Amino acid sequence: MSEPVSNPLAPPARRTWRKPSLIPNPALRWSLILLVIVYFVWALSTLPFDWNRIQEGLPRAARIFSGAFPPDLKRPELVFTGLMETLRIAILSTILGVGLSIPIAFMAARNLAPKPVYLLGRGIIIVARSFHPIIVAILFVKAVGFGPLAGILTLAIYSIGFVAKMLAERIEEINWGQVEALRAAGAGYFITLIYAVLPQIMPRQIGLTIYQFDSNLRASAVVGIVGAGGIGATLMNAFRRYDYDFAFAITLIIIAAILLSEAISGRIRRKLW
Amino acid sequence: MLKISNLVKCYGDSKAVLSDLNLEVPGQSCIAIIGASGAGKSTLLRCINRLVEPTSGTIELNGVNLTHLQGSSLRMARRRIGMIFQGFNLIDRLTVMENVLSGRLGYVPFWRAALRKYPQEDIDRAFHLMERVGIAHYANKRADELSGGERQRVGVVRALMQEPEILLADEPTASLDPKTSVQIMELLRSLSEEYRLPVLINIHNVQEAKEFTQRIVGMRFGRIIFDGLPSDLDAEAMDHVYDGVPAAEREDAQGVILRAAAG
Repeated sequence: MSEPVSNPLAPPARRTWRKPSLIPNPALRWSLILLVIVYFVWALSTLPFDWNRIQEGLPRAARIFSGAFPPDLKRPELVFTGLMETLRIAILSTILGVGLSIPIAFMAARNLAPKPVYLLGRGIIIVARSFHPIIVAILFVKAVGFGPLAGILTLAIYSIGFVAKMLAERIEEINWGQVEALRAAGAGYFITLIYAVLPQIMPRQIGLTIYQFDSNLRASAVVGIVGAGGIGATLMNAFRRYDYDFAFAITLIIIAAILLSEAISGRIRRKLW
Repeated sequence: MLKISNLVKCYGDSKAVLSDLNLEVPGQSCIAIIGASGAGKSTLLRCINRLVEPTSGTIELNGVNLTHLQGSSLRMARRRIGMIFQGFNLIDRLTVMENVLSGRLGYVPFWRAALRKYPQEDIDRAFHLMERVGIAHYANKRADELSGGERQRVGVVRALMQEPEILLADEPTASLDPKTSVQIMELLRSLSEEYRLPVLINIHNVQEAKEFTQRIVGMRFGRIIFDGLPSDLDAEAMDHVYDGVPAAEREDAQGVILRAAAG
């Protein structure tokens, strides 16, 4: 049975329209909204905010900031050594981290690894990802002492968490036909990985390495604050000596270094894709 | 000589893709396997080099039973079986020469292959074969820079690098235009004669099958329902092989076979 052709001049039966709500059930919708509001108010009221302390602190903050102006690069040699140490930490941790990420990524790729190996690989990645670099840095500073070694180990783990995960996902997307062709030629397991899988993931691998170097440079300034060497340590020392104008100068140098490195790596990565 | 007896392949608990299939290929010959999509042609070829594990039955190549080989003995057997793919399956980001030499991966030790230090006779063989099919000037080009027909030539040369005792070609011309498709079929036929090789070709284009092969095997519902000379494949036999809609076919495959057996 076909619909009768409607008269275009007659008014339609329905004349209102509203976008359907994301949560169609109104009871559910309103109780969720209410819940969020109630929780927000409750959370705000139970956290200890010391308004008097904040009031006292504001002038102090103003003093710090006014002390920071104008920034003063008093001891450039200190900044330079700090920056070079940060750079070394970033480079070494990237090489170490990415180097370890490649085998871990192969272990954590569902299409290549047997189940137990896959679970082990995923486990390593989950552990490496589950702690913020600051927490890992505190642990390593306790374990191996203050200095760049703690920073390198921290950022190597940080790199594994990111690079191995992204690389494993890329490996899971490879064109399987190429693997099949080499298996059909009688190639062994490991040479098949080198011939059929590595060339396919190479562009992603290089892009991730550059990105991770950037990221490690940034993070190495931060983990330096908890004692893991580099420019972060220089910055922290300046703060401890109430040397705010020097600290501010260091901060600006860090920002400049990161912007520079991002500009360079951005160019390289655009060339790669 | 290739001898397939009582070959069965089931995926999971579903109906058999290959059911009780028997096929003999004595010595050099160029054989086309035709049949609708889903008839089991691809599975048949992949059972031979064990990219697909047969459920039961035996496959013998020159006296060696391939069906129970494991580990290194399976790889020894596979390197004697060349395969050519519909999508070429070249390593796109490697050079043509590396792709060609990858046909030797079953022979050369790991480190030599990883460092690309292949034996001189492999390199000689590679250049010889590339010249034979007309791609030697592309040796250092990346495989993905070549056209479809050229890439399939690389695929053919890679298979021949294995010094195969048999060639399996899974729809080698399905990704090519009609002209290059004819050239590749021509090449497969002449290589089969030059190297005294049995060549099994899965193919959809029946005209090409008739023109370039000496024997045609028609498959349906995982069985061979036609096996004869190209001249024997008349309209009636064609109907028999291609009858029905491929998708619906699988559903009532069992029923049709039973009815065919009863009638």
